Amino acid sequence: MNIIVCVKQTVDLQQVRIRKETREPVLDNIPLTIGNIDKNALEEAVRIRDKVGGKVIAVSAGSEQLTDTIKEALAMGADEAILVISTEFEGADSGAAAAALAQAIKRVEDYGIILLGEGSADNYSGQVGPRLAEILDLPQVTYVSSLEVENGTIKAVRNLDDCFETVEVGVPAVVSVVSEINEPRIPSVTQILKAGKKPKQVFKPEDLGIEITRSITTLSNLAPDQDRKRILFQEGTDKDVASLVSALEAEGLVRR
Amino acid sequence: MEKFDVVIVGAGLAGLSAAYTLARAGVEVVVIERGDYPGAKNVTGGRLYVNPVRQYLPDIWEEAPLERHVTNELLTMMSSENSTTIRFRSEKFNRPPYQSYTVLRGTFDRWLASKAEAEGAMLVTKNLVDDVIKENGRVIGVVAGGEELGADVVIACDGVLSLIAEKAGLRSPGDPRNYAVGLKEVIELPRETLEDRFGLTGDEGVAQLFMGSLTQGCFGGGFLYTNKSSISLGMVVGVKDLMEKKPQVEVPYLLEEFKQRPEIAPLIKGGELVEYSAHVIPEGGMAGLTTLFSDGLLVAGDAAGFSLNMGITVRGMEFAIASGVIAARAVQQARERNDFSAASLACYQQMLEQSFVLQDFKTFRHAPQFLENPRLFSFYPEFADRILEEVFTFGEGPKAKLSDTVRKHLSFGEAWRIARDLWGGLKI
Ligand SMILES: Cc1cc2nc3c(=O)[nH]c(=O)nc-3n(C[C@H](O)[C@H](O)[C@H](O)COP(=O)(O)OP(=O)(O)OC[C@H]3O[C@@H](n4cnc5c(N)ncnc54)[C@H](O)[C@@H]3O)c2cc1C
Ligand SMILES: Cc1cc2nc3c(=O)[nH]c(=O)nc-3n(C[C@H](O)[C@H](O)[C@H](O)COP(=O)(O)OP(=O)(O)OC[C@H]3O[C@@H](n4cnc5c(N)ncnc54)[C@H](O)[C@@H]3O)c2cc1C
Repeated sequence: MNIIVCVKQTVDLQQVRIRKETREPVLDNIPLTIGNIDKNALEEAVRIRDKVGGKVIAVSAGSEQLTDTIKEALAMGADEAILVISTEFEGADSGAAAAALAQAIKRVEDYGIILLGEGSADNYSGQVGPRLAEILDLPQVTYVSSLEVENGTIKAVRNLDDCFETVEVGVPAVVSVVSEINEPRIPSVTQILKAGKKPKQVFKPEDLGIEITRSITTLSNLAPDQDRKRILFQEGTDKDVASLVSALEAEGLVRR
Repeated sequence: MEKFDVVIVGAGLAGLSAAYTLARAGVEVVVIERGDYPGAKNVTGGRLYVNPVRQYLPDIWEEAPLERHVTNELLTMMSSENSTTIRFRSEKFNRPPYQSYTVLRGTFDRWLASKAEAEGAMLVTKNLVDDVIKENGRVIGVVAGGEELGADVVIACDGVLSLIAEKAGLRSPGDPRNYAVGLKEVIELPRETLEDRFGLTGDEGVAQLFMGSLTQGCFGGGFLYTNKSSISLGMVVGVKDLMEKKPQVEVPYLLEEFKQRPEIAPLIKGGELVEYSAHVIPEGGMAGLTTLFSDGLLVAGDAAGFSLNMGITVRGMEFAIASGVIAARAVQQARERNDFSAASLACYQQMLEQSFVLQDFKTFRHAPQFLENPRLFSFYPEFADRILEEVFTFGEGPKAKLSDTVRKHLSFGEAWRIARDLWGGLKI
């Protein structure tokens, strides 16, 4: 039984800054990486594989740089990758992504579980998993915070914020995970070096008979307005240390 | 232990130039960089002279992500209330092939890394090299992230204060006094605003150097370079002077004061600070170079000490590129002999001696000594400013003759010292 993990290439959020004037994120020329929660999904896939065997296959749809970005998933333990590459995925919605992933997954023989993060690092629509399950006509389990796979049965605990729900489902199934499920590993140098040599299948949308459609138009993408207090305490006077302390106290930031 | 032909430590200009050259020649090369991506940790003032290095990295300059070609060279001497600026502009500098460009390392190094990778170099980021592995006194690999990686040759391109050269026994931990510290801010402005403020058209740019009161008499100076849509602004100060200065002063504080100068404030007004960095600069010149090679090891770029600090300007990027490429060539020669001993790798030093790298170091070998003269950073800027102040000041009474003004500020002893300084300056 093979394990499929869907991972998305996004800008490295740690490197993104917000332009003060416009409150827009600066996205040009930012290094790309794989979404944070996708890494949890990948980590879970690798752990399951190490227990029950099979291969971990990373599947991803994105722009040209993906052939490079995917090395991160391969370094973390995926055995091979299937990529659907087109510049049109940039800014495309969850529907297009799910359609592409589904067609790519159909080419894999004998998969038991399809893992995803609960939401992507950039859009966080949380829709790709459910859409994928519908297209492939598979059962789905979302918001999974712990997972066990044994003899073709998946036992999953779902974190529903106010309660935990434990469910059981047979393979194949689509499972989306939350970040608390595990701590993704940091790949070692030799794993990174080997990643470049692992097998990759690359498709264009045409090869898979899909058309990338857009049903959503982004009107604006702005950071919340954050106003600073802008209080200046003159340095060097006792009085001002006292007023700094009382100002902090007033904000509930320090207590005597 | 996994083994490769060559392991390069550090993906700065030296490491990437070596990797690009080796990968093009079909050599299996791994570059290990501790930063999140190449360029993330690299600091420069901002100007690269292309002519010296054009043939070292052939065929790639056309598409290099360079910022602006410099057509305006400004030198500003500052005293507490005055400043004198010499502005040189050349239409010759405004015609291709341009001789120098401003650069941003975050963009440039990442691009150069992508070129090296396209040629087959393997790049590993986010990993620190902790040690070299030695066998019978020769370097046979490195330890990175707890793993051992073997190599016929290791090239240390890990920048100033090279840990690799130190672990290999080629340099001893330096005296802080032999270094300078550099601070830099990148301030973003809309392209049109920037071009209006500096009087620029198209992709032409400004390089401005500052000396005088901004360093409060310490060895060093300030710099300003225009990029496409931002300004690189910073200063370099000698650590020795900083340590000895009474009362003590901190460089970030000096930089803040510099930014508030009326000469600077309007240029950066409304700009957004998008990058703040600090870095050490080797300033030993010829005397500060490390041993350049040993059994299984070569040292290139800042790691070897290939940075010339001329007080107000630092030149290191061309040396990093050229020494990286020359190290790669030395490895290729050693591969032909299948001999990676120090004797075989000695061709690295010979090639460096024939190149502009060591020749420039030789030419400027007196520079550090000359630049140690504190008068350069306080007396001269003040002297020029004071004389010009009088030239441009009109008081109530009659105006003094220029010769009287000069004589007033210049005793015989002072004139003698100036002549001596000049003589020292002519030696470089
Ligand atoms: C490059 C570098 C690497 C370091 N690495 C490490 C490390 O790995 N581990 C480690 O333990 N330490 C490290 N340090 C040291 C550590 O960061 C400092 O010692 C620590 O940040 C000091 O904390 P602090 O609260 O005293 O001062 P700061 O963190 O400097 O806090 C001072 C605060 O006061 C505010 N402030 C200043 N003046 C005013 C004013 N007039 N009005 C209002 N607010 C004001 C400032 O904005 C700032 O937020 C490193 C330092 C540097 C520079
Ligand atoms: C403020 C300032 C202004 C300057 N202005 C100019 C200028 O205008 N023109 C000019 O030509 N030069 C200038 N220089 C000098 C120039 O920037 C340097 O000479 C040049 O960057 C050296 O390149 P390098 O590749 O040798 O080293 P670096 O660019 O420092 O690269 C070294 C790399 O090695 C990595 N590394 C270090 N240790 C390890 C380790 N143990 N494991 C893994 N990776 C490691 C580092 O992260 C870094 O990426 C300036 C320098 C400064 C600081």
